[in-house]
Amino acid sequence: MSLRVLNPNAEVLNKSAALHMTINAAKGLQDVLKTNLGPKGTIKMLVGGAGDIKLTKDGNTLLKEMQIQNPTAIMIARTAVAQDDASGDGTTSTVIFIGELMKQSERYIDEGMHPRVLVDGFDIAKRATLQFLEKFKTPVVMGGEPDKEILKMVARTTVRTKLYESLADQLTDIIVNAVLCIRKPEEDIDLFMVEIMHMRHKFDVDTRLVEGLVLDHGSRHPDMKRRAENCYILTCNVSLEYEKSEVNAGFFYSNAEQREAMVAAERRQVDERVKKIIELKNKVCSDNDSNFVVINQKGIDPPSLDLLAREGIIALRRAKRRNMERLVLACGGEAVNSVDDLTPDCLGWAGLVYEHVLGEEKYTFIENVKNPFSCTILIKGPNDHTIAQIKDAVRDGLRAVKNTLEDESVVLGAGAFEVAARQYLINEVKKTVEGRAQLGVEAFADALLVVPKTLAENSGLDTQDVIIALTGEHDKGNIVGLSLNTGEPIDPAMEGIFDNYSVKRQIINSGPVIVSQLLVVDEVIRAGRNMRKPT
Amino acid sequence: MKEIVTVQVGDFANFVGSHFWNFQDELLGLAGDPSADSVFKNQDLNMDVLYRTGETQQGIPSYTPRLVSINLRGSLGSMNSHGTLYTEVASTSRDVVTWTGRVSTQASEPLKRNLFLQRLYEEEEKPNINEIPGSNNDSQNEYEDKDVVECLENGVKFWTDYSKVHYHPRSLYELDGVWANIEEFNNYGIGRDSFTWAAQGEEISDRLRFFVEECDHIQGFQFIVDDSGGFSAIAAEFLENIVDEYTNIPVLLYAVQGSGSHTNLQSRKRTVSEVLHDSISFSRLSTYSKLIVPVGLPSLSKSKASRFLHIEDAKHFHSSAIYAAALHSISLPFRMVPVGPTADACSISGAVDIHGVVQMLSGQGRQNMVSVLDVAMPAPALTGGQNDLSLLEVLQPLTPQIADDVEDMLAIEHMTVHGALASEGHRASVTEVKDKVDGAFRCASTRPMFCHLSVALCPLPIPLPFPSIFGNNVGKQGELIGGQTINSSPKGSLEVHSVPMAARLRSSSVVLPLLENKLQNLQRFGIQRGAAGSELLRSWGFGMEELVEMEEMLSKMAATLRPPQLTSDSD
Repeated sequence: MSLRVLNPNAEVLNKSAALHMTINAAKGLQDVLKTNLGPKGTIKMLVGGAGDIKLTKDGNTLLKEMQIQNPTAIMIARTAVAQDDASGDGTTSTVIFIGELMKQSERYIDEGMHPRVLVDGFDIAKRATLQFLEKFKTPVVMGGEPDKEILKMVARTTVRTKLYESLADQLTDIIVNAVLCIRKPEEDIDLFMVEIMHMRHKFDVDTRLVEGLVLDHGSRHPDMKRRAENCYILTCNVSLEYEKSEVNAGFFYSNAEQREAMVAAERRQVDERVKKIIELKNKVCSDNDSNFVVINQKGIDPPSLDLLAREGIIALRRAKRRNMERLVLACGGEAVNSVDDLTPDCLGWAGLVYEHVLGEEKYTFIENVKNPFSCTILIKGPNDHTIAQIKDAVRDGLRAVKNTLEDESVVLGAGAFEVAARQYLINEVKKTVEGRAQLGVEAFADALLVVPKTLAENSGLDTQDVIIALTGEHDKGNIVGLSLNTGEPIDPAMEGIFDNYSVKRQIINSGPVIVSQLLVVDEVIRAGRNMRKPT
Repeated sequence: MKEIVTVQVGDFANFVGSHFWNFQDELLGLAGDPSADSVFKNQDLNMDVLYRTGETQQGIPSYTPRLVSINLRGSLGSMNSHGTLYTEVASTSRDVVTWTGRVSTQASEPLKRNLFLQRLYEEEEKPNINEIPGSNNDSQNEYEDKDVVECLENGVKFWTDYSKVHYHPRSLYELDGVWANIEEFNNYGIGRDSFTWAAQGEEISDRLRFFVEECDHIQGFQFIVDDSGGFSAIAAEFLENIVDEYTNIPVLLYAVQGSGSHTNLQSRKRTVSEVLHDSISFSRLSTYSKLIVPVGLPSLSKSKASRFLHIEDAKHFHSSAIYAAALHSISLPFRMVPVGPTADACSISGAVDIHGVVQMLSGQGRQNMVSVLDVAMPAPALTGGQNDLSLLEVLQPLTPQIADDVEDMLAIEHMTVHGALASEGHRASVTEVKDKVDGAFRCASTRPMFCHLSVALCPLPIPLPFPSIFGNNVGKQGELIGGQTINSSPKGSLEVHSVPMAARLRSSSVVLPLLENKLQNLQRFGIQRGAAGSELLRSWGFGMEELVEMEEMLSKMAATLRPPQLTSDSD
């Protein structure tokens, strides 16, 4: 209490109060997120004070939407969000696993057990579970020709937890094809090379994969073609607009003519650059069949657009930086930074370029490309919140496929791993541990069951029955998961339910770490604000 | 036409911005209103510089600001982040089409629109309200106006509460993921912690790109940042991105701070955190801009700038109004329709673009990139008037921590005077204003090296949601009425319809104390051995090397402004 002497406003929570505060916070967060889990979970519609709608079933999104202020909850949320950053999924699972570990701990601590001992048990159990995961995982060989079926199953497992079945199945194909499109042998997969573009449109089932690129802008000249075939694509980062030079010209001329001359000279430089592009066009498009498209990262002003339009060239300005990279991957050629480097080799090619106008929004489609390493998933939805939700699901799906390709293994889903790991801990590991740390292992093992339990609960099944049935089968040596439709044990491999290995490993890894930190907190000190105030 | 794209980052910046756009909206309205004063008719101001023409999904033409506004989630009050124009037809049904399972809806209590916004929406729904016959209609309206003004005076919480502008759906961006109290969102470190540019930056730069792509020939960015909290960190990242992506497009940066954001009763730790924030934020922001204008006095109400005004420092609604008025004046020359060198338009003179101003003030000589903002609100009549003050004497700084009386022979100024009145309530013509200012310079004891003057006839219109801050010696057209000052309540938009304004940007050595203060604080609390804030800075993610770099930059900036060392004592 010496702190009180130093700062009379400081507030101190003692050991048990501190522990209960953290445990309650963890449980609270778990309660909010647990209905999300699985393909039978509840989707949440958040309506803001101004009537804006957000639709989500993603733990990550939900956490970010919440105005969390409790310090413990913030710590857990940070862990969960980091989970998402690292592996792209598993936010909800992380939060409910942490919550369950805290809940189990509470039981033992209330009985007088020291948190330190529990933490030791957790540590042993965690290491054992990770070893078990290595044995349990299903290796998949991903050579030059990856097994598309297994990728689809992983993607489907993820996306079905976010979207209704038939939409999820349609997206699954799109997602797997997109990742396989951008995949280069011997290189890491850069998911940014899949552009995700959206358009407001009546139906969500119109979502499709564009092999090529969709840009969210169009040409800015009335005379430019809206549709062209057999196009040479010039990707460049060259300023085609009149810019004032760095030194202010205003102090160098003394009369109007001089000023005009100065402007004309600077204008001429821009025109020169445009002419070089036109020269290249004339060189490659000698026949009448082919067209020329310029996509520039910098600006193109109306006089330059005029010159280009007169030559029948389509020109787009201020392309996204990332699209410069994507364009080259999709169409071939290379991005040019100066008109001096122009050669026919720099040019890419696309079979079809056309513009699509939707109100004031313009889209340019670059399609029918040869051998692309970049593509676009074009999401269509009736309104912004639907689009946003599909987008989230697509992102998760992409990550899942990427993870599978990189892990070269998957883990049986539908709660099969959690039940198997629990049985392993209880039946084998626990015996090897001496003393009270055994109880820690047991608590950890029981906490693992929160995943099948929550899945059952969200499906309206009786959790007790389900767990008894599942553990019974496992004890017989059958690896089974939970069928959410019937509540009966099923073989996840038969149903095609697979989870990412790296996601599971991350959850097992990060959950106990944060719980151990929280459990050994024995005093909470806060100077200034009242922390017991409900948030 | 040369377009400007405006960026507003942070709470106070949006307060300022909201007033700024209200002025523009009022100008647009007055230009089309047959019963308005004729000075508003032909302003020779091209509003397309600030506004974009578009079309909603239903094909209705729209005219909205070229603006990207960034703020925390929940700071938009009762306004939808998609703006009010582009409402979706389909979204009115709240069907979930992507999920066949259970749906749980969590609706926050709908925020009630205040009286002003309610009336705004009502007027929109029945645009022909004027056709309703009845003689007592007028008085009833008057009564309502009074209520509206009073309601704003007492209860502005969000910047949207007094905004009468329609925004484009891409304009308003809300940052999410801040798990902290808004009161704790007060330093560079927490801003840096809370947001990773990687996560939200792409969306933000995409929105900016949307507005820039449309521009045939953009003249520059007008960037307003709330400098008092975590927003500086986001703004710095955003600026870095802009400089990288749009290399040759100049940025005019206003770093604004609300009054009273620094309170006196604080622990030492808080103070250290605050002064360090100011130093770090200033040096980070100035790294990425060519011209930075710090705006925001710690106590605006007691400053000379509010001589004719009654301001309550605690109300952002009040202080932001003055800053916005000054920004409006400064921005006028950017959209004056340029005329040939020989032909002189009768309502404007002195058009210049952002590039011109930036080059003028910071591009030559000492390359001083910090400018001081001065304002005279309202500007006094050219001749006569009660105190016969010269225009130059009434301009008072809105930039904090600057020296009062420093003679600087190398100062460069950019001044805008608009709507100035001649003696008896008549508007002074452009040439009259020019002559008067020239005359004033000739008599002045200290003269800047160079002064660019822009003049416009059109005064600052006072829109209805403008705060009641005018003293009672300010007349209907912003003229100063003589006579004793009775302590009655301050006047607002109902009594004052327009105000003549003068504002200027000044590149001068008067900012030296500001620079030195930031430099010293950085050294004292951050860099020196055992400095009180070194731990804090480390937690904000700044290494010693970075700090030393900032120190060097600040001291270089200060060095250019120091008068050449006079070795007078050695004879």
